Amino acid sequence: MRSSLKMRVICMLLSLFMLIVPVVAGGSTESKAAASSGPVHIKIATWTSNPDQIALLQSFVDEFAAKEGIEINAEFESIEFGEYNTKLSLELQGSQAPDVFWVLETSAPAFIASGLLAPLDEALAEYNPEDFSAKAMELWQNGGTTYAVPFSTSPFFMIYNADLFAAAGIETPDQLAAEGNWNWDTFRAASKAIKDATGVWGYQTVDGGGYDVRILHNLCPIIRSYGGDAWTNDGQILINSPESAEAVQLFHDMVYVDGSVVPPGDQSDFFSGAAAMTAAQVSRVSKLSDVDFAWGVAPMPAGPMGDVPVTGQAGIGAYSKGPNVEIAKKLVAYMTNEECVARMAGIWPPARYSVLESPDFLTSQPLLTADQMAAAVGGSIETGRVLPSHVMYPQIEVESRIVWDRLWNPNADVQAVLDGVAEVYAKYIK
Amino acid sequence: MRKKRSKLERGEALTGYLFILPQMAGFLILVLVPLIMVFTYSFESRNLLFGNMGFTGLDNYKTLIEDDLFFMTLKNTIIFSLGVVPLNLVLSLALALYLGANAAGAKVVRSVIFLPVITSGVAWAIVFTYLFQGGEAGPINYLLAQIGITGPNWLHEKGWAMFAVVVSRVLKNLGTNVLIFMGAVMNLPQDVLEAGRIDGATKPILFWKIKLPLLMPSILMVMIVTVIGSMRVFDTIKLMTDGGPEGSTMVLVYYIYHQAFRTFNIGYASTIAVVLFFIVLLLTILQWALRRRASYYED
Repeated sequence: MRSSLKMRVICMLLSLFMLIVPVVAGGSTESKAAASSGPVHIKIATWTSNPDQIALLQSFVDEFAAKEGIEINAEFESIEFGEYNTKLSLELQGSQAPDVFWVLETSAPAFIASGLLAPLDEALAEYNPEDFSAKAMELWQNGGTTYAVPFSTSPFFMIYNADLFAAAGIETPDQLAAEGNWNWDTFRAASKAIKDATGVWGYQTVDGGGYDVRILHNLCPIIRSYGGDAWTNDGQILINSPESAEAVQLFHDMVYVDGSVVPPGDQSDFFSGAAAMTAAQVSRVSKLSDVDFAWGVAPMPAGPMGDVPVTGQAGIGAYSKGPNVEIAKKLVAYMTNEECVARMAGIWPPARYSVLESPDFLTSQPLLTADQMAAAVGGSIETGRVLPSHVMYPQIEVESRIVWDRLWNPNADVQAVLDGVAEVYAKYIK
Repeated sequence: MRKKRSKLERGEALTGYLFILPQMAGFLILVLVPLIMVFTYSFESRNLLFGNMGFTGLDNYKTLIEDDLFFMTLKNTIIFSLGVVPLNLVLSLALALYLGANAAGAKVVRSVIFLPVITSGVAWAIVFTYLFQGGEAGPINYLLAQIGITGPNWLHEKGWAMFAVVVSRVLKNLGTNVLIFMGAVMNLPQDVLEAGRIDGATKPILFWKIKLPLLMPSILMVMIVTVIGSMRVFDTIKLMTDGGPEGSTMVLVYYIYHQAFRTFNIGYASTIAVVLFFIVLLLTILQWALRRRASYYED
């Protein structure tokens, strides 16, 4: 009897031991690894899951490791774009934090202010930092210190389905651009003509997210070329200005009067041939390799203010509190050196003059001809303005979305909706 | 005087404690500690990016009282629950009575009803997002168009969006409740039903006067579980509407998620979570009290 009780106790203790050991061991593995002189584990968080792009980044890590004479075990974590900030911020508070991570332009001020990004100037000094466009670096610096490097400064441009333009019997955007007639009015007319003639949508907003997650990506190019803006760096709120309202009214009419834009809730996609035009960036061009229609590219249409290019930026930074922060800082600097930037240029247009001004840049994207690259990207990197950002952008985005939603019905009062959005902006932008 | 335990009793008690230890450890680490942390955070200005910026007392609770969005999400949560709970209860009870009577095709219907329960919530929401597409691209609108009805833009029109998520949620979880009700229906005391029939009770009287009162404990238990489930809905909202349009489907749990992980305001999100905790606690106590009153034969 006694021995059976003993056995039961021993069995229970063993099962408890088995439960606890993996937990304790899990915790200690990391510290052992850190203490050993084996390969350095570097985790890199991105929002791309494209294997070619990851392979390119991996090659930079390998070259950097060889240069430094260390062994690096790189782990790439691809986080879905819509959840990127959420997951990244959670990881940065826990033990799974990445050492190097991409930063969205809209959240750059918040990440810089939080102190989660390590200063990079010392590491960058080795790689000719004067070569970076000062304008492109603005967003990523604070008080003269660089906290991340824009590895992508990518203007928005228009991709079109040439077959649908031919079917509708109308001039293509690049033909109109060559004649100097490519503006928002001719864009609207082309979109409607295609819908009327072919039944296919004339336009799909950027990544289909123009009514929600990418609302500013969608509206800013129109608004700015009409002389409006969301807000300015000095705290002026312009989203409800007459110019902004006129621009937004144009888009609203395209959706609800002309019925030529893929509407909210419809999943029709340009790349499957279900829309004739879409706004995109160079990184989306690779999706064209699989399409079964003829296509072309053109700059974004001009407005009353002429060509006002809008660029989307993405930065790369090092986690300031990570165990490998010094290596991470050097790695970021290496990955954005002249040579690496030149190799990335066909996917992520660079902010380095030496690469931008090199003739190789225009042929860096295999799917685009030099002329197309010039039309799509051209001088827009230097002349374009990034999307609006703010240290309180997450709050602004969440609250303003509720008001923006009122715009997406046929009877919406555009000016009243924009006044509501301006009210939300005013709560945070002083 | 308390009797001293023998060695054997102490040993057996120890064995018992050791058996429940893993479960208790899990509860302490994964439930109680986070719960205490949430309560603590609700009194702090804590940000996911900026860290803890100090104790702020009742500031978060004061903010909550003045937060229109909080009251909007509370209202949305109530609307959602009022849509999901009665619809789920009525449908699952009706189906359980039908299936319990061994009607024609019962086996097939039972399998079809239970399939959504074992389907991933994410896959379910994605399929329903496709079904509820606006215009004629959506299969539901296409079918409506065949009979001359122009369907709305379900997930992008205020009112219709809530209807769509309620329908999706009800159909997803119907099977579990049907199973519970079927167990109760099959265990109805046949002698009582037989006595009713002999006394000349018609089918409606048999249902309203005998079956329903006998099923009341199960109905109330299912109601508690369904209400709590509806208060905690997340995946359906996240994937189908993202809280829109105009915040009309933004429910409390989704608002907590927004505050915590979109605006990084962990302190304030914890405050809302504490309020939700007490709402659910209050509802559960109320329903348990109701269960005792309504179940005339329960101890």
